[in-house]
Amino acid sequence: MDSASHITLAALGQQLLVGLSRTTILFIVSSGLSLILGVLRIPNVSHGSLYMIGAFVTYSVATFIGGQTGFWVALAVAPVAVGLLALAVERGIFCHLYEREHLMLLLFTFSLMLVLGDVVKLIWGSDYRSLSAPPMMQGSFSLGGMPFPRYNLFLLIMGPLVAVGLWALTNKTKIGKIARAAAVDREMVAAMGINVSWVFAFVFCLGCLMAGLGGALVAPTQNITQGMDHAIIMEAFLIVIIGGLGNMWGALLGAAIFGITDSIGILVWPQFAIVFPYVAVTIVLVFRPKGLLKSTW
Amino acid sequence: MHQQKLLGSRSLILVALLLAALALFPAMVSRYYIYLVALMMVTGLLATSLNMVLGFGGMYQFNHAVFYGVGAYAAALLTVRGGVNPWWGYLLGPVVAAALSLLMGLICVRLSKLYFGMLQISLGSLVWAVVFRWYSFTGGDDGMHGVPVPPLISSIDGAYYFVLIVTVVCLAVMYLIVNSPFGRVFESIRDNPERAEAIGVNVRLHQLIGLVIAGFFGGVAGTLFVTVEGSVFPDMLFWTLSLEVIIMCLLGGWFTFLGPMLGGGMVVALRAVVGIYTDYWTMVLGIILMLLIFFLPQGVLGFFLARLGRGRTAGEGD
Amino acid sequence: MKSKLWLLLALTAALGLALGAGPAMAKTIKIGLIDCYSGPPSTYTNDVRDAFKLQMDKVNAKGGVWGNKFEIVTRDTKFKVDLGLSQAKELIMRENVSMLVGTINSALALALADLCQREKIPFFATFSKSAKISGEKGNRYVFQITENTAMIGKAAAAGLAKKPYVKYWIAGDDYEYGHAVGMGVWNHLKKLKPEVQLLGQSWWKVGEPDFTPYITAILAAKPDAVIVATGGRDCVPFLKAAQATGFNKKVPFFMHTAAELATLRPVGKNAPEGVLGTSNYFFYHPQSAANIAFVKEFQDAYKRLPTVGALYGYITAQLIIQAYQKTKSLDTEKFIDAVEGLTVQTPVGPVKLRPEDHQALLPMYMGVTKKSPKYDFLVADGIVTISPEEAAPDLDEIKKARGK
Repeated sequence: MDSASHITLAALGQQLLVGLSRTTILFIVSSGLSLILGVLRIPNVSHGSLYMIGAFVTYSVATFIGGQTGFWVALAVAPVAVGLLALAVERGIFCHLYEREHLMLLLFTFSLMLVLGDVVKLIWGSDYRSLSAPPMMQGSFSLGGMPFPRYNLFLLIMGPLVAVGLWALTNKTKIGKIARAAAVDREMVAAMGINVSWVFAFVFCLGCLMAGLGGALVAPTQNITQGMDHAIIMEAFLIVIIGGLGNMWGALLGAAIFGITDSIGILVWPQFAIVFPYVAVTIVLVFRPKGLLKSTW
Repeated sequence: MHQQKLLGSRSLILVALLLAALALFPAMVSRYYIYLVALMMVTGLLATSLNMVLGFGGMYQFNHAVFYGVGAYAAALLTVRGGVNPWWGYLLGPVVAAALSLLMGLICVRLSKLYFGMLQISLGSLVWAVVFRWYSFTGGDDGMHGVPVPPLISSIDGAYYFVLIVTVVCLAVMYLIVNSPFGRVFESIRDNPERAEAIGVNVRLHQLIGLVIAGFFGGVAGTLFVTVEGSVFPDMLFWTLSLEVIIMCLLGGWFTFLGPMLGGGMVVALRAVVGIYTDYWTMVLGIILMLLIFFLPQGVLGFFLARLGRGRTAGEGD
Repeated sequence: MKSKLWLLLALTAALGLALGAGPAMAKTIKIGLIDCYSGPPSTYTNDVRDAFKLQMDKVNAKGGVWGNKFEIVTRDTKFKVDLGLSQAKELIMRENVSMLVGTINSALALALADLCQREKIPFFATFSKSAKISGEKGNRYVFQITENTAMIGKAAAAGLAKKPYVKYWIAGDDYEYGHAVGMGVWNHLKKLKPEVQLLGQSWWKVGEPDFTPYITAILAAKPDAVIVATGGRDCVPFLKAAQATGFNKKVPFFMHTAAELATLRPVGKNAPEGVLGTSNYFFYHPQSAANIAFVKEFQDAYKRLPTVGALYGYITAQLIIQAYQKTKSLDTEKFIDAVEGLTVQTPVGPVKLRPEDHQALLPMYMGVTKKSPKYDFLVADGIVTISPEEAAPDLDEIKKARGK
């Protein structure tokens, strides 16, 4: 059983691209988590639940409208819906809790995860759902003799677009700059007469919107089901940590490490694919205890 | 931090009464409740062991279930695969857990807060993956069931009294540790590590000792679980359980000594009771937790102790 | 207002007394249904529960078995072993159930097999595929009402041996089920056709979000055929990834539940065609009167088509009902004596509960996925039946394993 003999350069390149398209989803979800951690200092365990809700909303909207347009409308609607839900939660509950211990906030987001999990069960039932990619992105094309799914190519394009968009939003707009300043020193920002509370609401909403977007983008590739929240949240946290808390580029780097070690590991040593991401995280943290890039903490 | 007496006479009476009630409990109720209370004590002990580092040491130990599971697995494997007397399993299980805790601590202890926690999770997940994958030895994801328990403690009543005695002894030992000179230094590290370092305290060493203690008692809780259920399975090491144990500490009051015990018992009881009436019990649990966070931010026991005007039990921070 | 309430209470009490004073023998037989009813496994378990309830309701409507009615108590384990264990104890000790039925989670099923032996309560394993339940860990109190991994392995190997493939790749879920099915098929296949070669294996974690990297890695090795040992929730995303990459068109693959309705329904028309799959039940096959009646009854009650779980629920209910009708006693030991070796008529023909190992002997159907003009999902085509005698585990081997 020589499993290494079939590894050709083409297969390696193919695998790298597949890993990068997985990176896109991981990056989008964890950048939102990182943003909230960096500015609000909330370890948002319910981030995975919002990702799950994003996927379910995408399913409902896309199947309700149907066809090509259904998916595109859903892709726009789902993140916004999740963002609005997050805004309601933030204004209704979170904004009263900012002074609490981190662990208390963790506990709160954990209970939110419990509630949202059952809410999803109430609304969508416990069966799983499946959504097809829009017709123009179904199937695959040949890449050096290997099939590469069209939808994964779409993800590869979306990744950089979202990264640049997010960077522009946090670095080029006024509210983004204020948010970044608040991440470093919230008293300072408050002293300048800026309503920090609403800055926080904006950041929380934006971060959760990213979770919703991740869920919407992932919907056509896997089954939409309860338990999606658990599957993603730990990966997202680990990515944020190895990248450097609150650092958006760190989230990108961490996601790439996860996505690529995973896909290359599958090619090289498929029997032990299950442990690769954890080994990668352990190595990074042993040598770079504060993550790879500069943290805002 | 002011010096405090180990136990006031009033609390001594209270503790004695509680113990008497617990000792007589099996005579008064049906089998299920004896089992349930035993399980509450096991879970409470697990939460208390975590709180040694979480509440008193301020360390974000996010993988505590690993030590619980490893203690349980070590005891079960020694008995089933090693063929030794189950009692040896009870002694060695916690030691294995403590050794693992030391090993992980050596790698993690130079990290702080969330980074520390996440490295712990990732190391813990590696341990979990080994247990989950090693079919020929650990039974893989099927776990091991029908683990032999010494005849003396294999009945529900027997298991209950064994759990009660071990839990009380462990709590007493942990209480003494918290109130020892070591415990006070440990707390001062939590409150201000820089200052502790400046006055010549070896912070890393103290944290490492704390981790070993927590791992050891986590392992004890694991062996008790084997006594009560006769089963071990990989879920016991998974990060979701670790997170639940943290929740128990916070719920009961993580700046109090007995809070986690109460929190652990409450979660087990809530799960059992609400689960009888509705399939949506996680939502009910979530809502109860939210209400508690809003109205009792110091945890349930923390709240009552504050009410009684003696909020400054072992470990109130600043 | 208040007086009316009192009147109502008095009436209820009188009614209760009148009923209580009925036949002295009449009791309710409580059955604990314990399984994961939330999350992905519920696609399978809900049908078990609903079909089970349907049969019990029917019997109760006719007055139960010699006056005793059945009462069903359910608990949702959320796929957690520790929670399931304490819920089972609650059902046994607090609700005083006469027997337990359920669970898709193998670890919990094995834990319950042990618990029920100690508590001397029958346990019907309705969806866990672990071969240990009726094999190595089997005991007097445990019954397996579903095909197990050993049977899947034997049945699939019998089907695959007739195909011309030589170079195989095995891929599956990285847990007991995946390994047991994958290696089970492989070991039997090697016996039937010694020239087969294993090129390699890949194992993914349960709940793997994206199968594309696995599929491309397998394609790079160029096998003749692939044995995919994935169960439950991973079937759907795997089929989607197979469709997106054109995997099924490049390399034929076998996947145990691929042709199952529960797997194919959510994917709709976009499921890959030509996938080889096995299952204990298709609502459209066999087109016997018993099956048509069963499908109609289930559809009328629940407004959906029955999946394989419904068959397991039906068989379990019938076994329990008929065993009680046979013994005319509420004694557990007599019940077990009666249910051992019992044969019940089912939508797939007579099914016997083998007395030696307590395994239900179900036929297995092998087919290839194909689009159908009648339904908006794929169906199995070219169905061959693998008889229970061909697939059932060897009794001597079980005896040896239990002897250890």
